[in-house]
Amino acid sequence: MTITLKTFANIRDIVGARELTIELPAGARLGDLFEYLTQTFGKNFDRQIRNQITGEMVPFLILVNDVAFRSTQDMEQPLHHGDVVTIMIPFDGG
Amino acid sequence: MSGAVFNYFGYAGKYLRVNLTSGTIADCFLTNTLAEQFVGGVGIAARLLYDEIRPGIDPLGAENKLLFFTGPLEGTMIPTASRIGLYGKSPLTHSFFYSSAGGYFGPELKFAGYDGIMFEGVSSNPVYLFIDNCTAELRDATRFWGMDTNRVQQEIAEDIGSDEVRIAAIGPAAERLVRFACVISGCRALGRGGLGAVMGSKKLKAVAVRGYGSVAVPNVRRMRSLLDELFARFSAHPATSEILPRYGTPVLVNANNELGLLGYRNWQEEYNPQAEGLSGETMRKKIVKRDKSCFACPARCSKFSVVGNGIVEGCTVEGPEYEDIFSLGSMCGHNDIEVVAAAERLCDDVGIDAIEAGVAIAFAMECYERGLISLADTDGLELRFGRADLIVPVIKKIGMREGNLGNLLAEGVKRASEKIGKGSEHFAMQNKGLTFPGHSARGLPGFALGYATGPRGASHHDGRPTGERTGLVQRATIEGKAEYTARINHLMVLLDSMILCHLPEGIWGPLDVTELLVKCITTTTGIDLNLQQTIAAAERIWNVMRAFSVREGYRREHDRLPPRFMEEPIPSGPSRGMMISRQMLDMMLDQYYTFRGWDISTGIPTREKLLSLGLTDIAEDMEKYR
Repeated sequence: MTITLKTFANIRDIVGARELTIELPAGARLGDLFEYLTQTFGKNFDRQIRNQITGEMVPFLILVNDVAFRSTQDMEQPLHHGDVVTIMIPFDGG
Repeated sequence: MSGAVFNYFGYAGKYLRVNLTSGTIADCFLTNTLAEQFVGGVGIAARLLYDEIRPGIDPLGAENKLLFFTGPLEGTMIPTASRIGLYGKSPLTHSFFYSSAGGYFGPELKFAGYDGIMFEGVSSNPVYLFIDNCTAELRDATRFWGMDTNRVQQEIAEDIGSDEVRIAAIGPAAERLVRFACVISGCRALGRGGLGAVMGSKKLKAVAVRGYGSVAVPNVRRMRSLLDELFARFSAHPATSEILPRYGTPVLVNANNELGLLGYRNWQEEYNPQAEGLSGETMRKKIVKRDKSCFACPARCSKFSVVGNGIVEGCTVEGPEYEDIFSLGSMCGHNDIEVVAAAERLCDDVGIDAIEAGVAIAFAMECYERGLISLADTDGLELRFGRADLIVPVIKKIGMREGNLGNLLAEGVKRASEKIGKGSEHFAMQNKGLTFPGHSARGLPGFALGYATGPRGASHHDGRPTGERTGLVQRATIEGKAEYTARINHLMVLLDSMILCHLPEGIWGPLDVTELLVKCITTTTGIDLNLQQTIAAAERIWNVMRAFSVREGYRREHDRLPPRFMEEPIPSGPSRGMMISRQMLDMMLDQYYTFRGWDISTGIPTREKLLSLGLTDIAEDMEKYR
């Protein structure tokens, strides 16, 4: 299935595009997308989303068709063909 | 004057008391109890000023006091322990207020041998205070009066004959008592609440500090071990190792907008279709030249920018920050990042809070478009949303109090709306006199409660948007938000007492006071505190600030949001339909006061609560207001 990834900031720098079309196997879940991105873009991508001491994803939101899911809890969320996924940059405060 | 033995490390152990009326300067000494119960920064400031500022005084009169104060961590290498706080009664909110800034002034003050400086009275002529390594003198500043904050820092350094001096100064706006005038140190702003105007009212142009001392800690090996841990954590966390260094706070423009939480056109909307033009990504590409860092901070979130073209070509600025982009760009309905950068530089130079300035201009734009003010009120300007060309000229008018428009907006949005009337209070986006910064209230219910109950008014540093925006707590519900907000209050006020920057809150917290913060305090000071005692200290400080507000007349009915946030749902974008109705806010207030042990009908801390926190005198005091 095909999904569209929308990117911001550091993640946009790493993937090199505001939007990216990604092919994932049928039945893929949100966690599979992050695994694909880490395999494709390597440590540099991993450093944007994971605490490098604990290895855990830091808290941030991921929008799937404008519905928010949590990096810390929702990696089993199924994806579907045509989904638009937006990774909100992990950042506190402001 | 000598003090009792002060047992703790980290602190200098004393602060200066400068009477500007008499010109006398004296050392005052910290007590063990003050450090144990109130930590430093805002904690000590709130306690001192509760005792020293009489209720009901004019914030711009001789009776107000102005306190610069650091925390015990400043001057150590603990990451972000760079900050200086400024405290007093605000001419915007008429209650206790504080603002803090990073940079280098705070550590320098500690190196010069002082934790803080209390100013009282009014000088007969402009002066500046020079603290030179444990000595202090007031110097004539008549020839500096009228100078902007950039030039006056250069001139005073020249006057002292040293480029090692750190300076905090006011600009012409503070001299003219613009109610949201700020204080600038280097390029960092002690921005909010108008305490620059208090400094101007006292004819105090600047404070200059030079010090060669150091900060003692109880056990150097233990401190080194803590520093290793902290720097490793900063290095490991995406926010402090990757995102802040690359984009700084402007990264939030696209992030907030994509969630439908970015104020646009005076909060008529919370989704800005032009946001990409104002984004951190665009800013980095177009104007950022290099990254800058505050003392002891590895995050390098500050950006040095140069405007490349247009009416402000060649303008340099440290920033703009997210809040500047929100207020001077998105709120005013344009998408020109270079205009925002130039406008922010001008705000710093004249010495006004860029958030208040931008929100005031946006408010005036809406008033003009709705026909509530005329060309006569705007000095002939067609003040419409999207007029990027008017932002810089209007800031100049505000800063110099020029014309009808400059004088109207220099009073702040609350007073301007009271003067205009005609229903403009519906969209005067302020609480208690302080305007809303760039994080949604309607789309973040817990944060809305933080805005409503904040002792400073609509500050984004009393509550925080982070938990709801990152999914740590459920966003679209009011359930559990009272306790959530109270715990965030405690985290924030403790950070402001230590004093540490809020931006790495994912490391410090993010949802409550943590053992890591306790370790930072105990390792630096030697004060024997556990987690519960530290949380109690934060709660104590929060209650002192609330009691200060109560004395000034604030009650439950003032813990509000603007009618727009309570009556108009977000009209479009990903958060479409969200709002905080009066009923929702009242439910959260009931729960918040109950959790805090405050009277549910008035919002006054109960006697029992105050006594449990050891605030016996304030408990007695509050009886007068029940």
